[in-house]
Amino acid sequence: MSETEQNSQEVDESTVEAPSLEERLRRLEEILSRLEQDDVALEEALELFEEGVGHVRDAERLLAETELRVQELLGSGDVEVMGLD
Amino acid sequence: MPEDPSFDSFRGLSAEPELYSTTPPPERIWSVSQVNSVIRKLIEDSVDALWVRGEVGNWRRYPSGHCYFSVKDDRSELRCVMFARDASALPTDPDDGMEVRIFGNLTLYEKRGAYQMSVRRLESEGAEGLWRIAFEKLRSQLEAEGLLDPSRKRPLPAYPAVVGVVTSTSGAALRDIISVLGRRAPWVRVLVRGTRVQGEGAAREIAEAIEDLVGTGEAEVIIVGRGGGSIEDLWAFNEEPVARAIAKSPVPVVSAVGHEVDVTISDLVADLRSPTPSAAAEAVVPDGVVIREELRHIPHQLSKGLRGILHHRKTMLDNALSRLGLRIERRVQPAQQVLDHDFGRLQNRIRGILDRGRQRLIGVEGKLDALSPLATLRRGYSVASTGDGQILKSVRNFVKGDSFTLRVSDGEVIAEAKEILAGEP
Repeated sequence: MSETEQNSQEVDESTVEAPSLEERLRRLEEILSRLEQDDVALEEALELFEEGVGHVRDAERLLAETELRVQELLGSGDVEVMGLD
Repeated sequence: MPEDPSFDSFRGLSAEPELYSTTPPPERIWSVSQVNSVIRKLIEDSVDALWVRGEVGNWRRYPSGHCYFSVKDDRSELRCVMFARDASALPTDPDDGMEVRIFGNLTLYEKRGAYQMSVRRLESEGAEGLWRIAFEKLRSQLEAEGLLDPSRKRPLPAYPAVVGVVTSTSGAALRDIISVLGRRAPWVRVLVRGTRVQGEGAAREIAEAIEDLVGTGEAEVIIVGRGGGSIEDLWAFNEEPVARAIAKSPVPVVSAVGHEVDVTISDLVADLRSPTPSAAAEAVVPDGVVIREELRHIPHQLSKGLRGILHHRKTMLDNALSRLGLRIERRVQPAQQVLDHDFGRLQNRIRGILDRGRQRLIGVEGKLDALSPLATLRRGYSVASTGDGQILKSVRNFVKGDSFTLRVSDGEVIAEAKEILAGEP
């Protein structure tokens, strides 16, 4: 592996965000429709199953968030937590 | 001549009508300015602000923003001026010939000695006519540019993580939006860009707020709106800067101007029109309760899928095995038949070989018999041997008193050497 590839991978690992709810739900749909097909190899099916269960768990954790985060974008471009009455 | 001509001094002149019958002596000569000034005061003080209905003519707007025009009916004409401050509130200039009602004060333009009406408000006689005209003007312009094309409407993101809101930070609209977002999708982040939503310059501010939110690159969908109000209150949402900012936004925009009857230009340009800010909030986020319910079923669906694949694999394996079995059987059967057939032949041949062998054996036996010492024995000879099988052929082999075996044709006899008598060799 070349040095630049190594660097970009490091950057990726540090900046890559966890998949969003949308990405997780979309992936779950893909996984479900893949698992409905008969031509899936057993090994792949098991991997898909495990991945799917992980997404369900993580999505549920995300949905368990109870407090809306409201921030105000100021004219200066700064963002601050918005005081709500 | 009074230094400062006043209404009273003017009136004093007119108070003596008998003087008109003859030309008075030129004791008091007025300047033109004095006359006009007095007349202006006279008009302004004696006539209250009033509404006048008429038809607009000769409308002219100057670079200063002041507008000059007249209103007329079938017999008369009234000169009017509308100063920039008031004229800027007009959604658009009225067309000549339009029936309007104007509100203002009568005054005199002293420089020309012409009386006129200083107009503070101008409304179309038809309901909201001027607004409607302004609306239609902008609408057809935007339409010509293709900005209202339905194909420009983008779908909203299904599960936005960040929702942008452009509205007044003090309005009920923001409270409604936040309340709905918090109830349906508390996991989202709301980025609010406060702005004035009505009054002079509000349209420009709203447009800038949209651009600011877009500039963060974070909002995945933007709600632009305000609560209900009169058409004048809502007017900023019918102005070009707002329309263009919405059209330019790279992320979908939901217009939420609190009114149900009329459509605003913002509504037309936006990717989605919501009747109220609350409805907009409902439209931009999914309901967490529904997602959780859907998620609850997914593990079951996953294992069902996996089981289906396992079952399919097993069936395939079973099928493959039974097909293999059949194929082997089919391949073996002919060989079996051949084998069965050959076995019979082999048996016959072996039997033949054995028979022939047996026949030959009988023949050989006969010959053997003839040659065998047994046959000699049968003729009456016998063979003497020691107990350990040594043949006793000579008298020298015998020891007197020893026993020896005598083999005859049908058995053996144990004998004893009683006397050894040597004979002729």
